[in-house]
Amino acid sequence: MDAIKVSGLSFSYDGKKDVLSDVAFSIPKGCYTTIIGHNGSGKSTIAKLLIGLMSPKQGSIEILGQSLNEESVYKLRDHVGIVFQNPDNQFIGSTVADDIAFGLENHCVPQEQMQDIIEDVAGRVGMLDFLNSEPTKLSGGQKQRVAIAGILAIEPEIIIFDESTSMLDPQGKASINEQIQKLHSEKDRTILSITHDMEEVAQSEYVIVLKDGHVVLTGTPMEIFAHEKELASMMLDIPFALKVSKELTKEKITNQEVCTLEEVVNQLCQLKSTI
Amino acid sequence: MVMNNIALGRYMPLDSVIHHLDPRAKIMVLLFLMIAVFIPAGAVGYVVIAAFIVVALFLSKLQISYALRAMKPMIWMMIFLLVINTLVIKTGTPWIQWGWFSVYSDAIYQTLYIVVRLMFMIILTTILTATTKPLDLTLGIEKLLKPFEKIGLPAHIIAMMISIALRFIPTLIEETQRIMNAQASRGVDFENGGLKEKIFSILSLIVPLFVSSFDRAEQLANAMEARGYDPNRQRTRYKVLKMKTKDIFGMAMSVVILGVCLGIWIL
Ligand SMILES: Nc1ncnc2c1ncn2[C@@H]1O[C@H](COP(=O)(O)OP(=O)(O)OP(=O)(O)O)[C@@H](O)[C@H]1O
Ligand SMILES: [Mg+2]
Repeated sequence: MDAIKVSGLSFSYDGKKDVLSDVAFSIPKGCYTTIIGHNGSGKSTIAKLLIGLMSPKQGSIEILGQSLNEESVYKLRDHVGIVFQNPDNQFIGSTVADDIAFGLENHCVPQEQMQDIIEDVAGRVGMLDFLNSEPTKLSGGQKQRVAIAGILAIEPEIIIFDESTSMLDPQGKASINEQIQKLHSEKDRTILSITHDMEEVAQSEYVIVLKDGHVVLTGTPMEIFAHEKELASMMLDIPFALKVSKELTKEKITNQEVCTLEEVVNQLCQLKSTI
Repeated sequence: MVMNNIALGRYMPLDSVIHHLDPRAKIMVLLFLMIAVFIPAGAVGYVVIAAFIVVALFLSKLQISYALRAMKPMIWMMIFLLVINTLVIKTGTPWIQWGWFSVYSDAIYQTLYIVVRLMFMIILTTILTATTKPLDLTLGIEKLLKPFEKIGLPAHIIAMMISIALRFIPTLIEETQRIMNAQASRGVDFENGGLKEKIFSILSLIVPLFVSSFDRAEQLANAMEARGYDPNRQRTRYKVLKMKTKDIFGMAMSVVILGVCLGIWIL
């Protein structure tokens, strides 16, 4: 069964200009998908439609095999979580602990379990020392960490991240990405991540490329990165590891192009052992 | 500048007996004492209430100056009251008589009477808000309103509204400051200028503030919904309240005071 299935989706904010037109894709359960595209290509709009905050002009959305509509939206939201782009306006509690608790309260988690969960997830995003801090006393990146902790606490079946690590320092980004990977590999969650980070795209299983509200490419990271020229025309770059790998294959040092740093290192290590 | 005044009614993170009381108990005490303040129990009644307030203030570890500062905005009102009362009330013994201008004793007593009541109410409310976290206060209100849910009062929705409002006051203050700085850097002068300039500078603050607040409200509502908030559905709660002996004791004290005042008034 597909976790998300979108077909013929069109949307317009003002009723005149279509921000999305005829978007279609499907994401199998347990798949780690990334969506890339230039600023204003409609990525966040797709996210808002998937969580049922707005209704499409045309087309249909199916979540876990159920069609998303006015009646099913509240029920389906139990299974879908999202971390928005702007961390300021999704902080609802008056302290970090209260904010993480907000989602737990909505999902009717028993009170006795809450404190443990809150401490656990706050620790995982490195915010344990800030449990009693107010949002105005936190930096943008710290607020993003709290928002991610909020979703880790719920662990919904489908999780959408809308550029939710954009304000983190490189180390923070790496550790949060690791948490997301864990949710995917250990808990088998379906992840849909909207990102500009090509290294993260390389690590995903499926990529959707958006341009001016159209889906222009879909496929595995390697399939997408093969269209280097087209990506460049959309201001998108290929990951550094792939560039290195390309040079290595050109020089006949390795014989297969790969796109993550890990794989390049593996290839080189094997090379060394064969010498 | 303008913003510093908002310190009034703010929570003071101290560690005192009063801080640790159950918010429901504190709200009930406030309620009982407010009623007591309005009972005309003469000087004795006021002395009893004043004694209670002094003890509470002492136990709360709040600085007297903090409580007094809360009274500052009232000074103009007191002066206004005094002027009106001296002009209107012409009973009792005349104390001053300068031609057409006269001051009667009742005018002064009447003013004092109102001022003392107001002072009591402000100090009591200040103690409550300074020793109770906004969120606990909301939770207390929600729990106290719970019985009224049967007659259709949406207690949890009211509580959510209050807590969101409280949560966004600091954010809005920050935003105001940011817009003021942005407009100042574009040449808007908030300090000087005539009436026309003043109106213009205030408009240049209010308009963007409204626009951004509406935008913020929409995004916030989206975030709440996306995180599974549904006002019509059952939710569990993170914070729970437990009444302890000292809470009962506090409430009993305030009931006794209310009783004394009632007694004096009726007998
Ligand atoms: N609330 C709104 N009202 C009207 N138009 C909007 C609104 N939000 C977005 N748009 C428009 O819709 C288009 C797509 O916006 P969207 O936020 O989906 O882009 P995005 O791909 O997420 O971009 P970014 O990478 O900058 O986050 C943009 O042209 C934008 O101007
Ligand atoms: Mg976006």
